[in-house]
Amino acid sequence: MMTLRSIRLACRCALVAPVLGGALLAAPLLALLAADDAAAAGPARIRVVASLPNLGSIATAVGGDRIELTTIAIGTQDAHFVDPKPSYMVKLRGADLLLINGLDLEIGWIPPITQGARNSKILQGGPGYVDCSIGVRVIEIPSNLSRAEGDIHPYGNPHYLADPLSAEVVAGTIAEALKRVDPASAQIYEEGRKRFVMHLHEALFGRDLVDLVGGAKLSREAAAGTLDAFLDGTALGGAPLRSRLGGWLGRMQSVKGQPVITYHKDCSYFANRFGIRVIDYVEPKPGIQPSAKHLEELITRIKGGEARVILTRPYVEHRSTEALAERTGATVVTLPLEVGGAPEATDFFKLFDVVIDRVVAALAGPAPTGGR
Amino acid sequence: MTTMRHWVGLAGLLCLALFAPAVAQESGPTQKDAQAATREEVEALRRAIEQLRAQVEILETRLAAQSATVPVPAQEPIPPPLAPPPAPPARSQGLLNPAISAVFQSIGMTSLQRRKESDGFDLSEAEVAFQSVVDPYSKFDLFLTFPAGATPDVEEGFVSTLALPGSLQVKGGRFKSAFGKWNTLHTHAFFTVDRPDALVSFLGDESLTNDGLSMSVLIPNPRDLYIDSITEVGTARPGPAFNGDRRNLTWLEHLNFFINTSPDSTFEIGLSASAGRTGATDLVRRQIDAAVTAGVLLPGAVIPDDQLSSRLYGVDLTYKWKPLQQNVYRSFVWQTEVLGSRRDVQTLASVLPPDLAPDRITSYGGYTYIEWQTAKRWRLGGRYDLSELPDDDRARTWATAGVVRFQPSEFQELRFEIKTTRRNNEAAFRFDNDRSDTQVFFEWIPVIGAHGAHKY
Repeated sequence: MMTLRSIRLACRCALVAPVLGGALLAAPLLALLAADDAAAAGPARIRVVASLPNLGSIATAVGGDRIELTTIAIGTQDAHFVDPKPSYMVKLRGADLLLINGLDLEIGWIPPITQGARNSKILQGGPGYVDCSIGVRVIEIPSNLSRAEGDIHPYGNPHYLADPLSAEVVAGTIAEALKRVDPASAQIYEEGRKRFVMHLHEALFGRDLVDLVGGAKLSREAAAGTLDAFLDGTALGGAPLRSRLGGWLGRMQSVKGQPVITYHKDCSYFANRFGIRVIDYVEPKPGIQPSAKHLEELITRIKGGEARVILTRPYVEHRSTEALAERTGATVVTLPLEVGGAPEATDFFKLFDVVIDRVVAALAGPAPTGGR
Repeated sequence: MTTMRHWVGLAGLLCLALFAPAVAQESGPTQKDAQAATREEVEALRRAIEQLRAQVEILETRLAAQSATVPVPAQEPIPPPLAPPPAPPARSQGLLNPAISAVFQSIGMTSLQRRKESDGFDLSEAEVAFQSVVDPYSKFDLFLTFPAGATPDVEEGFVSTLALPGSLQVKGGRFKSAFGKWNTLHTHAFFTVDRPDALVSFLGDESLTNDGLSMSVLIPNPRDLYIDSITEVGTARPGPAFNGDRRNLTWLEHLNFFINTSPDSTFEIGLSASAGRTGATDLVRRQIDAAVTAGVLLPGAVIPDDQLSSRLYGVDLTYKWKPLQQNVYRSFVWQTEVLGSRRDVQTLASVLPPDLAPDRITSYGGYTYIEWQTAKRWRLGGRYDLSELPDDDRARTWATAGVVRFQPSEFQELRFEIKTTRRNNEAAFRFDNDRSDTQVFFEWIPVIGAHGAHKY
């Protein structure tokens, strides 16, 4: 005899069974659909935050579509003095990688924003914290660590990307970091690095010479400081290899050895690579505002014929350099240091196209008329 | 001589006869092409030899590099950069030591109307800071202060987490409460030499400081704005708002909204509320003391309550303009804070019989400050203060201050400030009946060592 209780149970089963059955059937279907959606969207992109635009440009070249890039500073900004805005902490909160220039260039703003971002991945020592200065040949490491020398950098001159060849090391560092956080796409990053380095060699040495000798050989000679000896000491078809030198180095041959005055000590790597001579600075010491006495000394040197071109940056004051130009007739050239520092400098290669164009035009141009 | 000319002419004719056909043949088109082709072949071979020589040299160099460094795969067309890093700088020497810095504040002050005890030059305060990461999970900040003529103290000393999930950050120890903007600043980071009057009245001569815990959460939002919620619980150090009794906990909630209004400008809004316990007002203490001294009241006959409710509220607004390209040379800051206090008090209703009556005082205060940076080293600022007192809403003080700040470098600052203060009768009663006062301040602040960057 069917009791009231068993009737209720049967009714419940009759109601519940289709629902359960439907759910059991639907679950795999939904899972499949979700998987299809995920496959269509592709694997999640790696979120990369670069402190400076040059690092961002190199990361884009290496990582391509696999990365989602955010850059903190802009190209016309002084990298020493970026304000640690809380909004940067939001940018860093979900980052997989943080690329920094290092050598204490960002000491005033990267520590507060990383420590406020609540993201252990991008803290110093974390898997996503990438100091791009590692492996770079650093120059001007101060022997005397004293603020009497101005705003010095204890670990050496941090403006190493003013030498385009340093980008080869940086690209390697970024590729390794990307491979570490996204091993499944390691091949893509390696190919991106190779493409970038090949492009860099061709831009720096010229395609003809790279085809003939190989970019790696030229890069090693340049890094060791023996490129000139190699180019002059190796003949091909009766002519030294130097005759095949093209690219940025080839363009700078005509102005090699010429003297310049720079505003800040941020042209040293560039000068070393391209063979121009920095004879003095508008700042008497790094980070110290030029005094009237120091400007007078510079005027004397310029009028004495020691230099006729002053290289400055978009973000420094122009009053001092304009005064020097007015008094001496010297040519003042504003050079971008970072991608975006000039409208045409839209990536790392175009940045150096702009810089080389401007330097060559100024140094190869007519001598100053004398000023007043 | 004639015979000689004859023989020379004969030899010339003979040569012409012998070589003329050959010259005629060589100048023909087929012979020329063959010679050119041969020359090109020789040139090509020469180039190939030179290329091979260069390739051999490259391979030799690569082989040497391979044996000297990490092996490079043979198929690698562009090997990783081989530039050996330079001798590493002495990074490891300071790695395990905290960043240590010292800040000195030397103040000169004079009152123009009437000389005061505080007038004169003074080493107002020296601060020594130690800051370092503890381990992968936390960092530690310790600020020791050496006030002139007082015992050294821990101004702040707290450990903060770095790696908690859910955008959480927990801080424990002694820290300046996140009440508004100015309260969290150390004195050397002030805009002006002195603290705004409203902050002195409501939060004390020193900042409102807690010994306790703080939890900060970045609140997720669809526009990815920076919204920070800070909750604190602890024992407030004794001040006008809270009595610092360890049995009483002080609570604080602070919400901070940060908006980039343009690439060059930002706007911040902060809302703060704090609640705790406090004791008797200065006024009732003085009245009781006077009655005891006059002999109309026995000592201990009237004991005011030290568990009275006290609440503080605050709103802070900050607008900053700093053009990104020239942020070292030009800037503008406008900062305003309004504070409110609501506290229970007891008043001496009668002496005979001794009686205290409950009451509640609601008072307000605030300041507004603007600053214009005219050059890399120079800043001009002005501040207007208006303040009542938390235990007397009739006592009112107005002040205006102008400040010139000169920074020869990032590590040194000189400030010159002139401030005029006016008080009504009730407020003057607390200040030796001074209804107005003009003070001139001079301050010199050098910083040595590795001092951590300040908050934005």
